Amino acid sequence: VSASVLMQGVVNGLMSGWIYILVALGLNLLMSIMGIVQLAHGEIYMIGAYIAYFICVWAGLNFFLAIFISTLLMGGLGIILERVLFRPFRGQVEAALVISMGLILLLQTPIVVTYGSSAFSIPSPFHGVLTISGIRISWDRVMVIFLSIALTAAFFFFIQGTKIGRAMVAASQDREVATLMGISVDYVSAIAMFLGSAMAAAAGALVGSIFSLTPFMGSFAIMKGIAVIILGGMGSISGAIIGGLILGFVDGFVPIFLSTQIANIIGLILIILILLIRPQGLLGHE
Amino acid sequence: MSRRKLFTILSYSVLLILLIILPLLLGKEAYALHVLIMIGINIILVSSLRLIAATGQLSLCHIGMMCLGAYGSALLVVKAGISTWLALPIAGLIAMSAASIIGYPFTRLKGIYFAMATVFVAEVIRLVANQWRSLTGGMGGIIGIPRPDPIIIDGLMNVDFSSKTDFYYFILILVVVILLILYGIESSPISMTFWSVQQDEKLAQSLGINTTMHRILAFSIGSFFAGIAGAFYSHYVMSINPDTFSFLLIINVVVYAMVGGMRNFSGPILGAFVLTLVPELFSELKQFMPFVFAAVLILVMFFLPEGLVSLPKVFKKFTKKRLKYV
Repeated sequence: VSASVLMQGVVNGLMSGWIYILVALGLNLLMSIMGIVQLAHGEIYMIGAYIAYFICVWAGLNFFLAIFISTLLMGGLGIILERVLFRPFRGQVEAALVISMGLILLLQTPIVVTYGSSAFSIPSPFHGVLTISGIRISWDRVMVIFLSIALTAAFFFFIQGTKIGRAMVAASQDREVATLMGISVDYVSAIAMFLGSAMAAAAGALVGSIFSLTPFMGSFAIMKGIAVIILGGMGSISGAIIGGLILGFVDGFVPIFLSTQIANIIGLILIILILLIRPQGLLGHE
Repeated sequence: MSRRKLFTILSYSVLLILLIILPLLLGKEAYALHVLIMIGINIILVSSLRLIAATGQLSLCHIGMMCLGAYGSALLVVKAGISTWLALPIAGLIAMSAASIIGYPFTRLKGIYFAMATVFVAEVIRLVANQWRSLTGGMGGIIGIPRPDPIIIDGLMNVDFSSKTDFYYFILILVVVILLILYGIESSPISMTFWSVQQDEKLAQSLGINTTMHRILAFSIGSFFAGIAGAFYSHYVMSINPDTFSFLLIINVVVYAMVGGMRNFSGPILGAFVLTLVPELFSELKQFMPFVFAAVLILVMFFLPEGLVSLPKVFKKFTKKRLKYV
């Protein structure tokens, strides 16, 4: 195995890792604030990618503008979904599971029926390869890594630095006490759903600039997102980042030596083992 | 015997007789029989899932256990050449032992963590089936799984499982036996112990209940029946591949149980029946089918939070309210 191939592994690992982190952060926010597992998060990721494609290719707008509009639209959809479907089931895991299962069908079927057979890919604004002392890395992947890091940083500062962000942390720790302190849990949940859906859409659009879009890309994303949360610990941003990078590197490196499928198996076994040693995840609390 | 109990027993026997003569009315190869067989498999899956859920564990590797059973039975018959009638219980035991091995360390995990860890177990099982080409045939799976061995008793019975009717009677017997066993567990004192583990594990421990043992017990028994369902499935469709046991199917089983209503014994059975039937009834609307299914799920969750079994209760309440105003 040459240095160039190893470097490819690093880049691929970082890229998939940061994409997993984007998906997981949104999902984690919903899990800890609303107390539900929003399984249709993967479908929001998928539709976000399709919308970015349509804006980019059919309307001919700039790539970054397309991602921006797509995230705003999906964030708006998130607010509507929270108000209509998820608000009555806050804190009821099983009931929300059924609701989000219905939502998966509602969101996935139109795409399968209309564009199921066509292979779309969002044209990346960056082409060519970066060559550092004989090691070649493609620019579009580097761009995905930097954009994801920027989004994660923005998310981190929003949660840590703003008043709404602090209110979210409070609501995730104890909904009732947060209400007593004058925090509107309804409002905080709506913002959480907006942020989560927007980040999922951004992640989908970024993935769409590297790989081609399929209506079933969401179930892969949701599995990885849940895996990252379980690995890192629920309600922890830094945990999600560490968990995402671990899984990303497993998925980036193992295929060099073995196969992609075996990488998946190793990742899952790793999670099961970590869960058995630390049931609350790497950085989670009891 | 009270009149009420007599009435219940009588209505169940009428239902059973109806189910027994149903193939005569439908014809030997009717498509409806296939639907009924699938309903039977789903009923076994959800009822055994409910047993695990009774101890407060939402097992999302039920389809993984079904997958183990299906592959176990198919491989035993195809590669080792043993009788299908022996392979069926062995398949159940394979799933059961897998459940008791992973069950022990998993009892440390509570609530949502248990559910998520079991999702990964199911994924690992599916991926291994996908990857271990020399044994499981990889993506293509196993094809040409033989039908169950014929039962021939001279002059009395000649069942060779060449028609759907034979499979229908087979699953009918299987469902009735399994439901009787599960109902026996439900009405025995051990079900109270299971409930106490669900409601408050610490309190149950203080009363001297070995909560770990009971959680593993429920998980293993439930998985045993899932393995049996898988074994039956593999001999019925005669070919299996890893994609049959996908993530969506796992969620489907939970959805059946939730829509039917987890509290009552009959809830998951009703849920499996209705939700397997709905897609078939609306099969002309093939394109819109997922929308109908989704609408049923969301409407039931909003208006019948305790599931479809609470429909008569809700209806009674509703009419009573109306009568008061009249």
